[in-house]
Amino acid sequence: MNTPTEIELRHLGKSFTEGQRRHRVLDDVSADFLRGETIAVRGRSGSGKSTLLNLIGGIDTPDAGRIIVAGVDLTGLTERDRTLFRREHIGFVYQAFNLVPTLSVADNIRLVLELNRVPAREGQQRIEELLDAVGLADRADSYPDVLSGGEQQRVAIARALCHEPAVVIADEPTGNLDDSTAELVLRLLDTLVRERGGTMLIATHSARVASVCDREIEIHGGRLVAKASS
Amino acid sequence: MIPVTLRANFSYLIRHPLQLALALLGIGIGVAVIVAVDLANASARKAFLMSMDAVTGEATHQVIGGPRGLDESAYVRLRVKKGIRNVAPIVEGTVIVSGVSFTVMGVDLFAEREMRAFTGQASTAGGDDAPGETLFREFLTRPGAVTMSQATAAEFGLRIGQDFELIANGRSQRASLVGTFGEDDDAGLQKLLVTDIATAQLWLGSIGRLTRIDARIPDGDDAALARLEAALPDGLRILSAAGRTRATVEMSAAFMTNLAAMSLLALLVGLFLIYNSVSFSVLQRRALIGNLRALGVTRARMLSLILVEAAVIGSLASILGVAAGILLGERLLALVSQSINDLYFRLNVTDVMVSPFSVVKGLAAGIGASLAAAAVPAIEAMSFPPRLAMTRSSLEGRTGRLLPRIALSGVVTMLAAVALLLLSGRNLVAGLVAVFLLIFGFALCVPLVVKAASTLVAPFAARIGGMLARMAVSGIGESLSRTGVAIVALAVAVSATIGVSVMVGSFRGSVDEWLGQTLQADIYAGVQRGSLDPALLDQIATLDGVEAFSTSRRVQLEDADGRTQLIAIRMAPGGYAGTEIIDADPDTVWPLWEREDVVLVSEPYAYQHDVSRGDVVMLPTDRGQRAFEIAATYQSYDINASAMLMSRSIYDRHFDDAEVDSVGLYLADDVDPETVMARIGEMSGGTQEIRFNSNARIRELSLEIFDRTFIITDVLYWLAVGVAFIGILGAMLALQLERGRELAVLRALGMTPAQLGGLITTQTAVIGLFSGIAAVPLGVMMAYVLIEVINRRAFGWQIDMAVAPDVLLSAIAFAIGAAMLAGVYPAYRAARSQPAAAMREE
Repeated sequence: MNTPTEIELRHLGKSFTEGQRRHRVLDDVSADFLRGETIAVRGRSGSGKSTLLNLIGGIDTPDAGRIIVAGVDLTGLTERDRTLFRREHIGFVYQAFNLVPTLSVADNIRLVLELNRVPAREGQQRIEELLDAVGLADRADSYPDVLSGGEQQRVAIARALCHEPAVVIADEPTGNLDDSTAELVLRLLDTLVRERGGTMLIATHSARVASVCDREIEIHGGRLVAKASS
Repeated sequence: MIPVTLRANFSYLIRHPLQLALALLGIGIGVAVIVAVDLANASARKAFLMSMDAVTGEATHQVIGGPRGLDESAYVRLRVKKGIRNVAPIVEGTVIVSGVSFTVMGVDLFAEREMRAFTGQASTAGGDDAPGETLFREFLTRPGAVTMSQATAAEFGLRIGQDFELIANGRSQRASLVGTFGEDDDAGLQKLLVTDIATAQLWLGSIGRLTRIDARIPDGDDAALARLEAALPDGLRILSAAGRTRATVEMSAAFMTNLAAMSLLALLVGLFLIYNSVSFSVLQRRALIGNLRALGVTRARMLSLILVEAAVIGSLASILGVAAGILLGERLLALVSQSINDLYFRLNVTDVMVSPFSVVKGLAAGIGASLAAAAVPAIEAMSFPPRLAMTRSSLEGRTGRLLPRIALSGVVTMLAAVALLLLSGRNLVAGLVAVFLLIFGFALCVPLVVKAASTLVAPFAARIGGMLARMAVSGIGESLSRTGVAIVALAVAVSATIGVSVMVGSFRGSVDEWLGQTLQADIYAGVQRGSLDPALLDQIATLDGVEAFSTSRRVQLEDADGRTQLIAIRMAPGGYAGTEIIDADPDTVWPLWEREDVVLVSEPYAYQHDVSRGDVVMLPTDRGQRAFEIAATYQSYDINASAMLMSRSIYDRHFDDAEVDSVGLYLADDVDPETVMARIGEMSGGTQEIRFNSNARIRELSLEIFDRTFIITDVLYWLAVGVAFIGILGAMLALQLERGRELAVLRALGMTPAQLGGLITTQTAVIGLFSGIAAVPLGVMMAYVLIEVINRRAFGWQIDMAVAPDVLLSAIAFAIGAAMLAGVYPAYRAARSQPAAAMREE
């Protein structure tokens, strides 16, 4: 049986205006990503990796083309519907962790569960399971500012997966971490996403990160350059 | 060329124009309030002094008599018999022209030459006559001839040669403008009519009497002064002109002091705002400071960069604030002069006189507060190693650790305030200083209380409103380095509204009750700025339906020690109950008061002069200085605190003054007051214009004046609230700017714009709630001190404090409303922002 396509990109274009100049970041990008696949998105700084991920994640809109994620055409959605789609189907992991500093570890995860209206009891169970899975069961009540970078990223992974999203977007998830911590976080992210059958796109400069992915694509001059599958 | 480090700092502000605008606005409004109140106060005082100086002219001393002035023969005696030159007789009073009060000054032009220039040098229609000659002729030959300042004539549309009507002592009179003075500058001479002495005597009903004799005695010529004193007939006194002016100004001193205190309150809130605005702009640049420090910029250099910037912004905003303050000052001046006119003395002032001192004070407050506000967070940022300076958690952690110490210093400050209150006796200024210490001390405690409250409330909020409510509440405690000052400013402003509302409400209640008790008669009749015609008084008192009547005569007794307001009353049989005796048995006091040389003193008089029952006061009577025992103290909210009551029969024994200012009529039960008032109107037609009002109307009028007096208080505290509002707006905007990435992440995680807007609105509402709740104890404390200390020390009034729950609830609601309103724009902005764009910007 063929694996269904989770993400379809068709002729995507995106530009930004910087002062008087218009800078084309993505130009006629088309691609398909299968369900359960993990894809490394590579390219130089400023090549458009994050922009592509933002478009797929529904936090930005393209100037041209179509994006279909989990069977939903994002380009046809209103701002509100995109938000609701994102809430349900996308999990984000950022380089800078981006935990809410005023919430505890457990509450950072609970926030996403609440937004998805997961019943409290079930939510608590998922929080405990995930924190156990990322090795932070004993830090549930801690606040982000007392955690190390690796610990914060593990919380971010738990937060990204708690609502079992179809797609996980990871933008340089190990960029702020030392090598050994990065390895730990990478393995954790890979394992947990695969266990849950999710599709993951990872923007990275790291060959090591790319090596754990099913395949690798590169953005160059605003266009997609396919690389060999691993 | 501007150093790169300086440009790095400034470009931050230029790239955040809204923040810069709010900082400028914050400092500007703070300075404007300070300058406006200062100018209004100073202008009113200066205008009065200029007017007194102008009218006093070269006179150094003034000879005065009893309530009805002095007999004009005294002047003849001095000038002719004793050969004393440099004296000029004056008859002075108030007349009404087109419904406006004017001072009329009757002069002897022959004697005026060396006393006042303007009286004898008016421009007339006299053509080629020698200067002043036409004026002499007109004064002597033309009935009702007057001169006035050119500006006043223009204001009232009067030309030289034109006749006009005025009302003097309740009677309509014909006046004729024969000349004008003060071509370029009539400062101090507005709404002043100069006329011949005989005309003034006729108009004011004081034929043969003078108000005073002005004397010019060369400085240090004690012999001349002694010669003048020796030549005075019995019962006359000589006082220094400057001393008399001072005594008049002192009448309003307490009012002015209280106004200045209100301006200090605005200043305090203004300083909070300035601090708020400037400190934000520094706090937001922690990352920049950290980077520059990491690159090798020294602490001293960094600090100087920030201070230069604060000085530039502070100066720019302060200049704008001074300009706005001058405009605002004109509005406030109208309110101040209205109150002074209502309560104390006639004051003509329309233009703000911009004094360099007020401007310098405003600039110093604006620039000084900006520097201090920038220095505190800058020094704090400098004290961290460069890397740490970049993190917000390090700042919040530090703020959190400092809170208990700040609160402790607040408690110590409040204790110092209480000690000062207890130890400062009756000193008003010390009382005001204590109030400010109290406010400041309390303000220092607020952040810790808010921190504790947000920690305590957050779990409950989570139970009610979920994670979003929890974030909204706990976010306040977690961002106190930014929200703390705004919360304090709002709390102080709201507490001021509570304090002043409770004070005014309590005061109004007490006055209303007092009026209800005091106004015993059914109808009160009198003459505006004059005394009742004796024949008319007889007719009124014997009208059908009038069962009894009381009369009142209010005079100012003046000697070298100051002025005393003496009210001579002929009580109606049922009228005694209208005066509440505080410290004695009324049944023994009243017969004594009717019979003996005793007086009753008002409670404020007793407080201010530190006298009580059994003490003796010396009064300058027409028979010389006489001793009167204080028989008792009575309750009074009369604005003229130095008031005492004397029985009319005793007054008649000591003063040659038969005049009566007003009469109170006690009607039979079945008589309609309207019928009697209509009858009085008919009787007075053609004789004297009588003003009559029912008991209820007098009460209404009194309360109208009361309310008018407090309009300026209202204006000032609304300004304070406005200032706090901008503080909250600035704080919330700064917070949104700073949390741009955090908010973008929340949007990325699936929070809708409405939810994000709701989060921010909830947060501002909770800020308002915390501020409002914190304001309640401070407001009640302020009200207590205002009533028991400030009003008591300033005016001597004893007010029953009444705290209406609705005042407190509406203050809390108001704080929430103001904060939510201030949060609307930041919420809108945050909700509208695109998460991807926000992340890119970060």
